Amino acid sequence: MASSGEDRRAWVPLGSLPEFADVTPLPQDDGPSPVVAIAYRDEFRETMDYFRSLYSSRELSPRSLLITTLAISFNPANYTVWQFRRQVLEALDADLTDELDFTERVAKGNAKNYQLWHHRRWVAEKLGSDAAYRELEFTRKIFYLDAKNYHAWSHRQWVLQALGGWENELDYCVQLLEEDVLNNSAWNQRYFVVTKSPLLGGLKAVRDSEVDYAIEAINMNPQNESPWRYLRGLYNDENDAWLNDSRVPSACLRVLKAKRNFKFALSTLLDLLCLGFKPNQEIRDAITSLRTPDSGEVGSDSDLAKSICSILGHEDPMRANYWTWRSSKLPQAAEV
Amino acid sequence: MISIQNGSHLASTYCALAILKIVGYNLSNMDSESILTSMRSLQQPDGSFMPIHIGAERDLRFLYCAAAICFMLNNWNGMDREKAKEYILNCQSYDGGFGLTPGSESHGGATYCAIASLRLMGFIGDDCLSNASAPSSKANIQSLLDWSLQRQVADGGIQGRPNKPSDTCYAFWIGATMGTLGANKFIDEKALRSFLLTCQSECGGFGKFPQELPDLYHSYYGLAAFSILGEAGLKPLCLELGVTEAAATGL
Repeated sequence: MASSGEDRRAWVPLGSLPEFADVTPLPQDDGPSPVVAIAYRDEFRETMDYFRSLYSSRELSPRSLLITTLAISFNPANYTVWQFRRQVLEALDADLTDELDFTERVAKGNAKNYQLWHHRRWVAEKLGSDAAYRELEFTRKIFYLDAKNYHAWSHRQWVLQALGGWENELDYCVQLLEEDVLNNSAWNQRYFVVTKSPLLGGLKAVRDSEVDYAIEAINMNPQNESPWRYLRGLYNDENDAWLNDSRVPSACLRVLKAKRNFKFALSTLLDLLCLGFKPNQEIRDAITSLRTPDSGEVGSDSDLAKSICSILGHEDPMRANYWTWRSSKLPQAAEV
Repeated sequence: MISIQNGSHLASTYCALAILKIVGYNLSNMDSESILTSMRSLQQPDGSFMPIHIGAERDLRFLYCAAAICFMLNNWNGMDREKAKEYILNCQSYDGGFGLTPGSESHGGATYCAIASLRLMGFIGDDCLSNASAPSSKANIQSLLDWSLQRQVADGGIQGRPNKPSDTCYAFWIGATMGTLGANKFIDEKALRSFLLTCQSECGGFGKFPQELPDLYHSYYGLAAFSILGEAGLKPLCLELGVTEAAATGL
C-alpha cells in the first residue's frame, strides 16, 4: 500500500471539498453475495467511489486527473484507473514531461509494478525519440537500487529499439559487469546490444572480441554460469564456427587444470564432443586426472564423453540423474 | 446501483474459468463464442497477446492465459496457434531459457508460460525428451533442459534467473516445466523438499524465502511444488493448467 499513517492523519474527505460538491459518489457493486470481500479503509472506499462516478460519466477534467492520482496512490495496480488517466491526459493535452515526474514518484515505492511501466512507456512513446536520453537515465537510476529489475530492463530494451540511444549501451554493460560480474541481466543486455545495435555491425563483426571478453570473465570466476552461457550463445546456430574456435577448449582446459569449479568447463567440453569435436591429448589427460573410481577409461571419444558424464555426476551431484541420462543419450562411437 | 463499464481481461478470464473448473462447473454451459471472438482481437501481428482492449503491456503471460482459455473451452478459434508458437520461439533466449518478451532475460516464470502454452496448444508431445537433441524449427529443448536444471542451487531451492536467490514459487515454475517435458526426475527432489520446508511458516503457508511471512501466492506454489514432488495427501496436478488433474478433466 502506498499510503502511510501520516497520510491518514492528513486525509480530507473528498465529500467535504468544494471541487467535488456536484459529484455523486458511485459505490462498488459487489453483487448480492460477495466472496472474499475486502475490508477497504474509508479513504480508499471514498476515493474509488468518486473515481467510479467520474469514470462512468467519462469526465476528462483536471479534477479527474486528481482523482486518478489519489486512486493510484492507494492502489497502483488498478489498470482501469491508469487507463482513464491516459484518456484525461490526452483530453487536457497535458505536458507529458510532468507525467514523467509523476511516474518517477510512483516508481519510488513500486518499481516492480506492471501498470507503472506500461504508463511510462506510453508517455515516452508520445514524447518520441527526444525522450530516449531521459528514459535511459531513469532506468539507470532504478538499476542503481536494483540492478536486476526485470521491468526496467524490458523498458530499457524497448527504449533502445523504439527511440534509440545505443551509443553508450555497451559501455554501460561493461560498467555493470565491473560492479557485479554475476549480474545475469547485464550479460543478457550485452547479448542484446551486440546482436541488435545498429552501431556495432552485427554479432559476427564483434564476436571475436566478445569471445575474449567472456573467457576473461570465465578465468576470473569459472563457477559463474553467466559468461559460459554467453560464450555458447555467441555461436548459437553456428556449430561449425563453435567447433573451430580453439579458444573455447583452451579456456575449458585452463579451468580443468585448476581442479576446482570445473562443472561448466566439463559440460562445455561434453557439448563440443557431442558435436564432433576432436580433443587433443592435453585435454584427455586433464579429464583423466579428474576421474573418479567409476569414471572408466577415456580411450575413444565416446568413452571420454561417458567419463565426463560420470565425473559430472560427482562434481554436480544435484543433477546426478541428468548426467546419467546424458550419458545414455551420447552419440554412438561407431559412426565415423 | 449502476455497474460501470469493465473491459474483460485475459488473466481474469483465465482465473474465472479455472475457478469454475475447480468447483466442478460444466464449461460447455458458457457462452464460449463471445469469449473467443473477443480474444481473437487481442492477438497481435507478432503472435503475442494484449490482455485487454484498452491497451496494456504484451508478453508471454497473456499468451499463456489465452492458450489456457482455449484449452479449457476446447476451442482454438480464439487464437492463431502458429503465430503464437512463433512468438514463443522468439522469446527463447541465447541460454536456452525463455524471457517474457523477445530479447528479455530468461526467467523461470516466463519459461513456464512458454512451455505450458506449447503443451496446451499441442506442440509438445509426450516424447519430447527422446527428441531433445534433434534440430528442428521448434524450441531448443536440450539447452532449455540444461538451463532449467541449473536453476536448482546449493540450498536445494530453485532460482528464477542465474545468480539470484532461490524462491519458493520457482519450485513450481521450473518444476512444472520439467514435469511437462518429462524431466522432473532430473531435479534433486530431496534437496528441493528440504528447502521448501524451510520456507514454510509457523503460522501456516509458505513465504518466498526462509523466515519470510507467508502469502497466498507462495503458499499456492509451494503446495503445488509438493504435489509435483508426489507428497502424500496432495492431489496430482495438471501442470500446464495450474489446477488439479481432477479439475482439469472435470471429474
